[in-house]
Amino acid sequence: MSTVFTASGARNLRVSWVLLALSIVAAILIVLASQWYREREHREGSQAERRLQEARGRVEAARRERDSLQESADVFRMLVDRGLLQGEHRLDLVEMVNALRARHQLFSLDYEIAAQRPLQLPGGRVYPAVEVLASRVKVRLRALHEGDVLGFVQDLGQSRQGFYPLDRCLMKRVEAPADSIQPHVEADCAFEWITLKDKTGGNRAG
Amino acid sequence: MTRHFLYLTNSRLVSIITQGKRIAARREFAVTGAGASEFERYLSSFVDAPTHLFTDLSEEDFRLDTIPHVGARDREAIVARKLGQIFRSSPYRYAVMQGREPEGRRDDRVIYTAITNPELLRPWVDAIERHAVPLTGIYSAAVFSSVMLEELDLVFPHTLLVTFTPGQAMRQTYFKDGEIKFSRLTPVDLEEGQTLGMMVAEETTRTWQYLDSLRHFAGDDRLEVCVLVHPSDRSAVQPELRDFAQIQYRLVDMEQASMKLGLKPAPLDSTDEEVLVHLFLMRPAANHFASRELRRFSALRRARIALNQVSIAILAAGIAWGGYNFFRALQGNQAEQQVNRDISTLDREYDEITRALPSFGVGGATMRDTVAFYNSSIRAFPTLTEFLVPISQVLQAYPDVQLAQVAWQATDDAKATPAMNLGAPRMAPPVHALNKEGAAAPPAAAADSNSNPPYAGGKFEVALMEASVRVGANDFRGAIDRVTKISEAIGKLPGYRCEVVESPLDVRSNIAIQGRQSNAEPSMMDTRFVLRVLRDRGAT
Repeated sequence: MSTVFTASGARNLRVSWVLLALSIVAAILIVLASQWYREREHREGSQAERRLQEARGRVEAARRERDSLQESADVFRMLVDRGLLQGEHRLDLVEMVNALRARHQLFSLDYEIAAQRPLQLPGGRVYPAVEVLASRVKVRLRALHEGDVLGFVQDLGQSRQGFYPLDRCLMKRVEAPADSIQPHVEADCAFEWITLKDKTGGNRAG
Repeated sequence: MTRHFLYLTNSRLVSIITQGKRIAARREFAVTGAGASEFERYLSSFVDAPTHLFTDLSEEDFRLDTIPHVGARDREAIVARKLGQIFRSSPYRYAVMQGREPEGRRDDRVIYTAITNPELLRPWVDAIERHAVPLTGIYSAAVFSSVMLEELDLVFPHTLLVTFTPGQAMRQTYFKDGEIKFSRLTPVDLEEGQTLGMMVAEETTRTWQYLDSLRHFAGDDRLEVCVLVHPSDRSAVQPELRDFAQIQYRLVDMEQASMKLGLKPAPLDSTDEEVLVHLFLMRPAANHFASRELRRFSALRRARIALNQVSIAILAAGIAWGGYNFFRALQGNQAEQQVNRDISTLDREYDEITRALPSFGVGGATMRDTVAFYNSSIRAFPTLTEFLVPISQVLQAYPDVQLAQVAWQATDDAKATPAMNLGAPRMAPPVHALNKEGAAAPPAAAADSNSNPPYAGGKFEVALMEASVRVGANDFRGAIDRVTKISEAIGKLPGYRCEVVESPLDVRSNIAIQGRQSNAEPSMMDTRFVLRVLRDRGAT
């Protein structure tokens, strides 16, 4: 072996040493390059997997939304028809109240519609896509019979236009001769006139 | 792999080229200046082949010796010193260790051998050096011939191997229990009328006498003389060989021996060089005579081959590793392509779902929130009528009860109580209770002054009901009993709870009672009571 490491041995083996060095360098370059390529493919594969998961989630959410919307489409159509997503048309309310007064033969009907405001929902609940607005409406009415009062508030609640949930009502008997055509019942009631506003800027339905 | 074997005798140099285990070429050169020149030209064609030089010279001497049994390094030193002493003039010297003496100090047995005239090798070795031929070793044909005995199953206690060498010479090598002890080369120079067999018989008998003089044999020992001859020479040899009590001849047929050793084709004459070359290919031996300096080109060649093999191995490993990485990357690439196809499929499905979604000119979130608000806050919101109808049905059973007023409220607070101002009864009873403050129990009605009240929710409905029950004069017991029954009847309605806020007559001990009796009392009286009714909509 000492022959190999002499000067003449080194000269004799110069080509082999160079080949060895080149082989080592080439092997390292091949390994590093292939490793880099493999890691790049692995990274891209991981990214693709993430994109696949995202796409699956997106599709799953779309399916859920589709199912949910299909279930609620009829309800939504009814709400749109009743003007829940429209702005207030106060003249319509005035006309409707007057019509109900006539229908139930109320002796008197006083009402007051307050300014529209954002409605505070229980628990501070907020909807991302819609803003809930309401106008407080107070009515004072006098009727011959309590059935007329109840019919008035019942018809108001079942109106085809708008939503008017009645939340307070004080109904009391008024002293009058039993057989006279005079008010026997008077009532003070309050309800909210609720409309929704689309926050997303979509086209106003209806 | 190509190997170059040189077989040097005193008159001929035989060159044998082998490919693998097969002899591919053979050429002979005369041991002369012209032969050496011709050999040098010939050698230039095989400068890269590893070269083995066998010597079969008459100038090879053998000396038996014993040395003390010592450690390996000391033994090497002793042997080297002995070789230097015995064969001072020759660099071609070698010692064969042959085990230990069976008795006494049990010294190591050794046989020294050397080519006593190194000038015989000089022209050939110089040519090899000039061409930088990788000389692997210089071997004694006599020493190596022990392999022939073993491979041909000719090992006896006393064996004399007789072979013929190129250049008309006969070598006799004596083996005692397989260990070489003596060897001698005799030119085949037949006298007139003398046959080869007669010469073999004479020379082997002479050798026996010599060995016997050296006390190699006991009284009953017999020397097995194995003569390797070609069938063409057999007729000239066999008739002259007659066995004695001390000598037995065994003719070893060259063709049969070649067949046994797998040497194809068999040699064409009785010379043994091709057999030895073949045996060397079967069982390579260590160098005998060549110095390290002479073998330096072989060492460099081995180193070069080793370096090249290492280079190839490293490159192959790198390529294999790289190939593995590339393969895995391709696998990953194919998987990624499949994933991308899946993503495209999912994207198409997403687009189809999105296009198929019901739309009313608003986004899905708006639709969802709108419906959610309706379902949670409006759809099941209570109504006054639904609240009063069951109560009315209860009160129909009590025609003497008259409802004066109802204050109703939808709320999420079960403890809420709507405000109400109590009226004065038409026919006040002569006895009534006074509370501590001297005021009525229910809270007075206040104007709904809050301009921004929170949304009521409507989990509960609460109502205060003021009514009166007409009973006989001073029948407070009957009035209280009637009110209690009404309260219990309302409380039995699903989801309803009812409590008496104001009784027809509060008879608790901590409440004052005031009465005013007179003879002009009416026969009937109206006693007022107030009920608080709670309807839990979650309980229905």
